[in-house]
Amino acid sequence: MQIGWIQLVEFRNYRTLEFSPSSHLNLLTGPNAQGKTNLLEALGFLLTGRSFRTSRLSEVPRWEATSSSVAGEICRAEGGRTVRRMIRKLDNGGAQASGDTCEWARVIAFGWQDLDIVTGAPGARRNFIDGFAGRLYPGHLATLLRYRQILARRNHVLQSRELDAEAQLEPWDEQLVSVGMELIGRRRKAAAMLQTELGRVFPALSGVRQKVEIRYRTALAEATEAAEMLAALVRLRRVELRRGVSLVGPHRDDLAIELDGIDVRSFGSRGQQRLIALALRLAEVLPVTEAAGSTPVLLLDDALSELDARVRQNVFREIDGAEQVFLTSPEALPARRAACWTVRAGAVLREGDADVARGSVAQA
Amino acid sequence: MAYYPEPVARLIDALQRLPGIGPKTAQRLTFYMLKRPPDEVRELGDALLAVKEKITYCRTCFNVTDEDPCRLCSDPRRDEHVICVVEEPNDLLAMERTGEYRGRYHVLLGALSPLDGIGPDDLKIRELLARLEGRETTEVILATNPNVEGEATALYLAKLLRPLAVRITRIARGLPVGGDLEYADQVTLSKALEGRREIS
Repeated sequence: MQIGWIQLVEFRNYRTLEFSPSSHLNLLTGPNAQGKTNLLEALGFLLTGRSFRTSRLSEVPRWEATSSSVAGEICRAEGGRTVRRMIRKLDNGGAQASGDTCEWARVIAFGWQDLDIVTGAPGARRNFIDGFAGRLYPGHLATLLRYRQILARRNHVLQSRELDAEAQLEPWDEQLVSVGMELIGRRRKAAAMLQTELGRVFPALSGVRQKVEIRYRTALAEATEAAEMLAALVRLRRVELRRGVSLVGPHRDDLAIELDGIDVRSFGSRGQQRLIALALRLAEVLPVTEAAGSTPVLLLDDALSELDARVRQNVFREIDGAEQVFLTSPEALPARRAACWTVRAGAVLREGDADVARGSVAQA
Repeated sequence: MAYYPEPVARLIDALQRLPGIGPKTAQRLTFYMLKRPPDEVRELGDALLAVKEKITYCRTCFNVTDEDPCRLCSDPRRDEHVICVVEEPNDLLAMERTGEYRGRYHVLLGALSPLDGIGPDDLKIRELLARLEGRETTEVILATNPNVEGEATALYLAKLLRPLAVRITRIARGLPVGGDLEYADQVTLSKALEGRREIS
């Protein structure tokens, strides 16, 4: 799939912008703090209604504006659709997104925060695998939300210190295990797909043949039945009641990522860590394409920094197989078959051609 | 709110406490009232008081009623053997609107909700057990909402009622009639698939 055109109003540093990107590789270059990442965020927001950078949508509208709007055309082989979305700031300091949805639109975004998948806490890896599973199985995020609701209520019962807390836990246990095992099942399938693809993508980027392994790590080992998780809960009941938290389930799990048997968390080289994070995102492309029936749009924010020239060429070769790609960089890059754009003070200009995209400069 | 006269501020404040009404709606309603003829406003005031004074909960099924036992409990044409358990009186009304159900009801007046501090003792569960004792009830239909609280309540009741010689059923979850498969969300669709039935 690809974005035919996009129009922004009061979005981050853009007062207004009209932009018709190329259907293949788009290179967005320009100095820092000019709006490259903001443009990627807007493209992602058009496709999914979410920001890959923040969960606080209230920071999106330009600071004196009360709302942002994004409109654009999303096309795939079967035809296109015009989508309009809004973000409105609310009185209580929050913000609300509204507008059209495009259920077949998929985005894979890479940003500096993805380094957390490699080096961060288990929560970052759970978010990563859930995001990927959500792109594969549209019901996954709704299940995750339901799981969190059940978990919050169950923890509340655990903390209640009431005498009959144990009897009150039962209906929450039953729901926790059925929804929990559903989540674990999809995460395992997603991890297996990721391992297969990463085994191809990582050597293609690094140029070195290495054995890649991704394992879903859970206290439930190989368990697949809800009854097994229930048994684990019963075993830990007294500890749980003492500590007031749920100790088994997908909210405690992790993903182990290994290269030649070595956990990637222990890798010292920052370039290597970045390359693994980028490879994980690019490994999502093929499975998501197969699940959604159309190639996802790639938003790669400063993906090539800290990588050497040879690896950069390998990255270009790898993303050449994708459909529409947006790649930002502070400096010009030697890419063939790329549309080059300069982003400067909230305006996007095609290199050597000032008429293609018009944007009014934001006066802060 | 300092710049409103006291009676105006008081009404805005009172309206604001109602569910689903924020400061702006409360203001709009208040100024609407100011513009209406006195009779109309008195009528609203009387209606508000009457609902609190005349309406009670039925001692059998805990539906809201102006006579005890309520009309549904005293209607001899309704089937004594089936009891449909719902969370709130509005759920009962929704079931009644179908015109399909001819049994009795039991309103729990809530659902298990640890975050709001609502446990089994805060619901009309003991009263339900008392109703089942000695009577010839053959089926209990658990019609609590399909959200996490409603589901927990249904699971809790199912476990509690299992020792009794009663058939316990849960209302089906699935696709809305007249809907399109294509537009159904995944959770609904998978629940519908789970609860599929043989066609005869």
